Amino acid sequence: MSDLLESLKEAVITRRTAEIEGLVKAALESGIAPGSIVNDGLIPAMDVVGRQFADGQIFVPEMLVSAMTMKTGLEVVKPMLTGEETQSKGTVLMATVKGDLHDIGKNIVSMMLEGAGFRVIDLGVDLSVDKLIDQVESVKPHLLGLSALLTTTMPEMKRVIEELTERGLRDKVRIIVGGAPVNAKFAEQIGADGYGANATEAVDLARRLAVLA
Amino acid sequence: MDLRPDFNRFLKAVRGEEADRVPLAEILVEYPIQGKFLGREVTASDLEAQVEFWTRAGYDYVPISVSMMTPGKVTEESKISRVLREMVLRERPEETDPRAWNLEFTSFIHERADFERFPWGPAAEMDFSMLDRVKDLLPPGMKVIAISGKIFTLTWMLMGFQNFSLKLVMEPQLVADVFRKVASIQFEALDRILAKDYVGGIWVVDDIAFGTGPMISPQALREHVFSWYREMARRCHDKDRVFLMHSDGDLTSLMEDLIDMGLDAIQPIDPTCMDIVKVKQEFGQRICLIGNVANELLRSGSTAEVEDYTRHLLRHVAPGGGFCLGSGNSVPAWAKFENYLAMRDTALKNGAYPIKV
Repeated sequence: MSDLLESLKEAVITRRTAEIEGLVKAALESGIAPGSIVNDGLIPAMDVVGRQFADGQIFVPEMLVSAMTMKTGLEVVKPMLTGEETQSKGTVLMATVKGDLHDIGKNIVSMMLEGAGFRVIDLGVDLSVDKLIDQVESVKPHLLGLSALLTTTMPEMKRVIEELTERGLRDKVRIIVGGAPVNAKFAEQIGADGYGANATEAVDLARRLAVLA
Repeated sequence: MDLRPDFNRFLKAVRGEEADRVPLAEILVEYPIQGKFLGREVTASDLEAQVEFWTRAGYDYVPISVSMMTPGKVTEESKISRVLREMVLRERPEETDPRAWNLEFTSFIHERADFERFPWGPAAEMDFSMLDRVKDLLPPGMKVIAISGKIFTLTWMLMGFQNFSLKLVMEPQLVADVFRKVASIQFEALDRILAKDYVGGIWVVDDIAFGTGPMISPQALREHVFSWYREMARRCHDKDRVFLMHSDGDLTSLMEDLIDMGLDAIQPIDPTCMDIVKVKQEFGQRICLIGNVANELLRSGSTAEVEDYTRHLLRHVAPGGGFCLGSGNSVPAWAKFENYLAMRDTALKNGAYPIKV
């Protein structure tokens, strides 16, 4: 890997937000392909950040600043990407289910998915089953990410999956679930495609499922 | 089993000793559960009924909330909501969603200028009326634990968690200033609370961890949060009061800090991610543990399962003292009433020292 790619990767990992724009421009001027800057620099940097977070070496604030640094770099290089290179890894609809206003976990996962090259559409919190189904129908995402913090709102996830099945949409989208009271067993019971215990697991899961979608 | 309130029983446990029995302890039992226990409706304003519940159910204190932005108490009618509504409507006259000016739903401090113009005066106004009124209702032996002093959650709520996180790394001075402001308001209340002799302690309800570990780095917690709690503990101990804390999440990596800053008890040792028996073995000589029958068990379990887990706690955590029995968070309205009773009754029936269950 070139020194410049290594430098911009390090800038994302060590949260040097002010430097990233200059580093990406320098990489472009040196002739490094825009696609390589993304795929060999920015995305692998976020993989390292994800692992550091999963290992407890860094925490949410540090991870968010790295994600923001990555995004800043991505904005510089985006206009120069070719048609093929601009294709995201997949589109993910993210939402916290009906009755639940908690969004910290969902937001972290959304930022990490963006950092991993996914196109993320964040629908927000307190999303009714009908609204979610409408969005799945119109956006046609590869993945639907559902979040719940409360044990009382977890059943909404099941309702969403039942309704998708009822309307013949279940096999059109992969569903991942997460949140404090959720676990792999619950995900399996309600017919979700996977469960992520944290943002890093969610990204790994999304990558696996997006390939299958 | 002696059901008469005895704050010294609770104090003994908090100070790491065995009392006559394992005390029951909660930060909150929601009113519908209190109502079912008493056989009549209990409301937020019916302090007499609340005191009757805590007394008859076998607790040694009444928890009373006195805090800035007490969750559930920031309403459309609150003065702070009125001030913020005026502020929001000046900038966005078309705004109609009441959540836009409710501190519980919207963050207001994003930049330094927001901090400077935030209406701190109205935000700092606290309601002491319940705390004042309860004095004459307390039966002999019973005291009040004031639920107060929240600092971490209020700061990130005011800033929005995402913005708070970014600023913590990129503009730490702004974050430190918001923490300082919130802390100064809470300390002013603390001094007023500690002046009341029927208040036996302070219980800070402040979630600092996710199920996977601390919400921010231990270093940042030490710098911005624990430093304030250390001072809070000092003021409590100077007045011979106890200092307790509630936090959800996995606190394992923070336990040494919590003990070091002077905490007397920690609740609830989140049963979704911590093993209270291991915590007792490792830290039980230095801090009192309160908990931890999981809320999910109270919601969906059978009474037999609740009884089993309660006996497990009595068998493995209660011996030696330094333990109070309660839920794994609080007792919500959606808990099965029979499961709440199963937890309470099992603790009262089997919780006499020496534990023989």
